[in-house]
Amino acid sequence: MLALHNAPLSWTTKKTNLLIASYLFYAAWNPPFVILLWLSTVVDWHVAKRLFTEEVKSKRRMLLAISVIVNLGLLGYFKYGQFLLENFIALVALAGITYQPPDWNIVLPVGISFYTFQTMAYSLDVYLRRAEPSKSFLDFALFVTFFPQLVAGPIVRPTHLLPQFAVARVATPQQLYWGLALMTIGLFQKVVVADGLLAPAADAVFGAGETLHPLDAWLGTLAFSGQIFSDFAGYSTTAIGVALTLGFGLPDNFRFPYAAIGFSDFWRRWHISLSSWLRDYLYIPLGGNRKGNLRTYANLMTTMLLGGLWHGASWTFVVWGGLHGLYLGVERWLKARVGKLAIWTTLPMQILLALLTYFFINITWVFFRAPDFATAWRLIDTMLTFETAGEKVLPTVFITQTVVTIAVMLAVHWTMRERRLDDVVARVPGWLTGLIWGAMLMLIVITQGGSDAFIYFQF
Amino acid sequence: MPSSTSSSEPNVQRSKYDRALPKRPLGRAFVVAVIVAASLLVAWEMHWRSFGVMPSYRNSNGLWAMERRRIDRGEGDATVIIGSSRALFNTQLDVWERESGERPIQLALEGTTPLSIMEDLADDPDFSGTLIVGVAPGLFFGGFEYRRKAFDQYLNESPSQWLGQRISMLAEPWLAFYSYDYGLFTVIKRQPWPERAGVETEMDVRKLVNLGRDRNARMWSKVETDPEYQALARKIWADGFIPIEERDAEWIANALDNRRKQIDRAVAATRKLREKGVEVVFVRNPAEGHYAVSEPMYNPRQETWDVLIEETGALGLHWQDHEEMQGYWLPEWSHMSASEADRYTEALYHLIQRERAAQAADSTAEASQ
Repeated sequence: MLALHNAPLSWTTKKTNLLIASYLFYAAWNPPFVILLWLSTVVDWHVAKRLFTEEVKSKRRMLLAISVIVNLGLLGYFKYGQFLLENFIALVALAGITYQPPDWNIVLPVGISFYTFQTMAYSLDVYLRRAEPSKSFLDFALFVTFFPQLVAGPIVRPTHLLPQFAVARVATPQQLYWGLALMTIGLFQKVVVADGLLAPAADAVFGAGETLHPLDAWLGTLAFSGQIFSDFAGYSTTAIGVALTLGFGLPDNFRFPYAAIGFSDFWRRWHISLSSWLRDYLYIPLGGNRKGNLRTYANLMTTMLLGGLWHGASWTFVVWGGLHGLYLGVERWLKARVGKLAIWTTLPMQILLALLTYFFINITWVFFRAPDFATAWRLIDTMLTFETAGEKVLPTVFITQTVVTIAVMLAVHWTMRERRLDDVVARVPGWLTGLIWGAMLMLIVITQGGSDAFIYFQF
Repeated sequence: MPSSTSSSEPNVQRSKYDRALPKRPLGRAFVVAVIVAASLLVAWEMHWRSFGVMPSYRNSNGLWAMERRRIDRGEGDATVIIGSSRALFNTQLDVWERESGERPIQLALEGTTPLSIMEDLADDPDFSGTLIVGVAPGLFFGGFEYRRKAFDQYLNESPSQWLGQRISMLAEPWLAFYSYDYGLFTVIKRQPWPERAGVETEMDVRKLVNLGRDRNARMWSKVETDPEYQALARKIWADGFIPIEERDAEWIANALDNRRKQIDRAVAATRKLREKGVEVVFVRNPAEGHYAVSEPMYNPRQETWDVLIEETGALGLHWQDHEEMQGYWLPEWSHMSASEADRYTEALYHLIQRERAAQAADSTAEASQ
């Protein structure tokens, strides 16, 4: 792709190449699902064009409804169909009716939640008169399918990506090298840290199926906190790097989230493209914080509950979102009352608050990772009561890997809290950057990776 | 209203969307990185070669799927070998080809009952050849499928898996370290870590064979020549063994029920295969040491093998019944050394031909009476 993109071809040809590559990339998982991309592309293209020229409010609403129904309909059918069916069965069972439908057996198209939200942003921007529709179908189709971030984000806004397709872009040498460096960092996070160092402990603990020793429960949860970050941030960093080698800029998706002080800070650092999407297209349209305190708390909770459900069709994800909604609400309440005290700005207190935030975030990860509520409650119970009667499942090697990795990760996040990676690299001698870069490359290769897909592909 | 969604604006400010870059040229760092990575990889490769490892194809799910697909693509009349690791290690394709003039398709999977594959071949209209079924008692009559994913990949291989397999195979014959056994975290896990009280861990099976392009497996010379490595391999086989006397009645009842199900599966699949003209030959390869104790304990011949052969009516060759199948060197009790496997394959091939002929003669005699 790099060779084609740097060949002496017209910009339209290069964009066509990128579009074809994006479809091939998506088809590599399951070719028929490319049709979903086409459907989403065609519907939102036409809806946005009509929305832009239509002045009658009711017709505009109807057009938006078409876009929302098609996009959320696809998402609902493929992602939430089984979930809705199970809940329907449980509901009618309460009324004494036994309903046994045929097996659902629907395969979830990879990354459907990501590109659905990305295309919906386009129609919503035009509906809300925030932006004009694209004038080029090729550019719009490429916006929907741009392969670096298609299946697991960052969820890029049309206002960020479409203008980049307007003029010819080829990476400068510095962009190319930095893109390759980011790809190395991203793959290192995924292959070495997430899959190699942390996944074994997390898998052992969450798959144990029995009450565990508190050390195991805590280490498994901590391991998952590192795994989910390294896995997801690893993909985002790789995607950003790939786009950069082609000359395109994608926004940050993570900013050292485990150094967050408080939960609103966490959401400014974790999955930024989703949290800002939810803020702009859900929280603010719901009224945000403009309609009084009670409504603000309700809006926060609604946004986070739906954010939880976005991740997966399960009540455990809803609880995960609900806990974050609760945390944000409590934080808001506390900030209004004691937030201005000078003590909060001292370094020891900042570190304490960051650790407290990390502690509460870990509680939410239990629900995120646990296959069911029984497992989640069992782990939470052990983690909070420190009851030592449970089974030990983690051998010394997994304990060592988890403790060392999480300690290093927290130290790195805290050190980098107010810094940018490019600034740090600029201050480090070139040979040292090269040494670290080369070592990371070597470790990626010798880890050999398995066939573990990125966790967020399932969302 | 901003018009930034419009992609036809001629004066887009490129810098607005560009990412911040390090304010230090990265060209030199890139060159250093390539040199460092290449040097470290060469050192890593040399380390494993000095340990005795030579490049070999990986025993991957994708490679198995490729071999299985040969039946779909015009080789349905071939001799196909299924079973577990003993069928994989002990049946040498080169020797079989030399003796018979045809090269079999090797579909045996270590740690895995062949029954799912057998059922699949029974339902596959493309398959009309001969089926050699290795029977490792614990796996066959227990139904365990350690490598089920290989079969699943054949059934549902995505284009990315297909492509990944082919890219991987470009590197596999050249790099010794590119092996499941020498992945960084596998190596780390296998170091002598202090044991944690109360934690039960099973030892991983170590590398035992080198694999060819069509899954022809030959025992790795280190297993044959390094006494320490050989002892480790034996220790792993015996690790975690529980005598049947220590099993409770419920466990035993479930195991017996499960055994019956596996035999029923084999009987049904054999019937289907024979109905479409496929000849099925069950082979019980030799084993010794720990297995001479554990296998008869959990799966007595009279209750398993003999029942299987009687109920399927297929040709069955048990190593205890034929001199040609006895007297081979099994360095780690379960599999034959490479040269012994050559000798065994030659003997097995001729034994099969002879027994087939005898069985055919018996059938003819019965029909004429």
